[in-house]
Amino acid sequence: MGIFSKKEDSITEASVLNELRKIQDPDLHKDVVSLGFIKNLKITNNNVSLDFVLTTPACPARDQMRDDAIRLISMLPGVGNVNVNMQAEVAQQPAINRNAIAGVKNVVAICSGKGGVGKSTVSANLAAAMSRMGAKVGLLDADIYGPTIPIMMGKVGAEIEARGNLLQPIEAHGLKFMSMGLMAPGDKPLIWRGPMAHKALQQTLLGVEWGELDYLFVDLPPGTGDVHLTLVQSIAVTGAAIVSTPQDVGLTISMKTYRMFVETKVPILGIIENMSYYICSHCGAREEIFGHGIVADAAKKLQIPFLGEIPLDKTLRENADAGIPLVVKDPQSPITRAFNDITKNLAAQISIVNFQTKPLEIIEE
Amino acid sequence: MITTPVELKKIGQEKFKITWADGHVSEYTFRYLRQNCACAGCRNEMTGERTLDPESVATDLKGLKVDVVGSYALHFSFTDHHETGIYSFNWLRAICPCCRVTE
Repeated sequence: MGIFSKKEDSITEASVLNELRKIQDPDLHKDVVSLGFIKNLKITNNNVSLDFVLTTPACPARDQMRDDAIRLISMLPGVGNVNVNMQAEVAQQPAINRNAIAGVKNVVAICSGKGGVGKSTVSANLAAAMSRMGAKVGLLDADIYGPTIPIMMGKVGAEIEARGNLLQPIEAHGLKFMSMGLMAPGDKPLIWRGPMAHKALQQTLLGVEWGELDYLFVDLPPGTGDVHLTLVQSIAVTGAAIVSTPQDVGLTISMKTYRMFVETKVPILGIIENMSYYICSHCGAREEIFGHGIVADAAKKLQIPFLGEIPLDKTLRENADAGIPLVVKDPQSPITRAFNDITKNLAAQISIVNFQTKPLEIIEE
Repeated sequence: MITTPVELKKIGQEKFKITWADGHVSEYTFRYLRQNCACAGCRNEMTGERTLDPESVATDLKGLKVDVVGSYALHFSFTDHHETGIYSFNWLRAICPCCRVTE
């Protein structure tokens, strides 16, 4: 044994944790040990293994944090193999009403100031991208004016089954979805006054057997109306992401939506610029049809996160029409990469909100 | 004005107390809350003007139940069975009895 045993003795849990304390979560601004990310730390002989449990599988800093952990532990004298097992446990919005929607950890609203900005295309691809990264994802198509999610998921005319008094969500491309469009199949319109819209949202949000979900995305109708109000009154929404085209922000229409969420104390997770630019399929020239970068400037001014930009692209539209999100169909496409980046940024913002939110409870005295 | 609550306390059937993030404490009687209901039956939807006669609210009116609405408001049930009002935290701070400026 001699001098070697002395070296081995120096590897202790405390010394490993001390090294790991040097790693900060870039979004939560705390070290990963205090945040409770390190679990199952085992030191066998001179080998170190641990679980590194992040707040989302879509963490943008995942690889960086793993590399840092391995590097820091390996630098301790006498350490042999280092095994860092990356995992994720999505945090639940602390104030979400657990009775209302038992297994859902986070409800995320996707909204826009006006119609036609590609909100549903963005919702479908974000949800699919999040699911591909390993999260349990649901998508609720709450757009009573133009419910298009069944088309984008390739499930037009799917029949909703009920078990007990709960509707069964439809499964497609690794996620569960429900759509108001399935309530009036084919070309039948949903002609609803406020109270009906209210009831329909409650039914498709609370009356669905979602099971365990890390994220439930809600694709809202454009603007601000009955469906929005019902949503923010029914549950504690984790946050809202706004989809905008550059010229929409120029018209400040997105700001109405923004203010509605501020009024109802729903955190703004950020803003996404869609139809950011167009690459000509013939000559490759980049055209900034609606003016590029305006949304990023608006985000800066409002001090809300800019989540990223998506170009105007034919394949995105074609795949949506064909019933398969582009991020599923073509994982290597640059548009998929753009969606992946936005998904990671969004997941990071959700983790930040959950870290800061305190549950609202009424104390009886 | 800070309208984020940090503590919500129902004191029996008489009073409700909110401690705000800036440390201010607002204490309301349930009768006062009933008199300041913001629902469309008690206030003109367009002008915001009160249509309810505050003196018509029984002097012994009490509060039965309080629920949180989403993240932004409270819902009260009173002994007169009125329960249509949604009291946003913005509104509750604005009608704080100790620092209210209008009406």
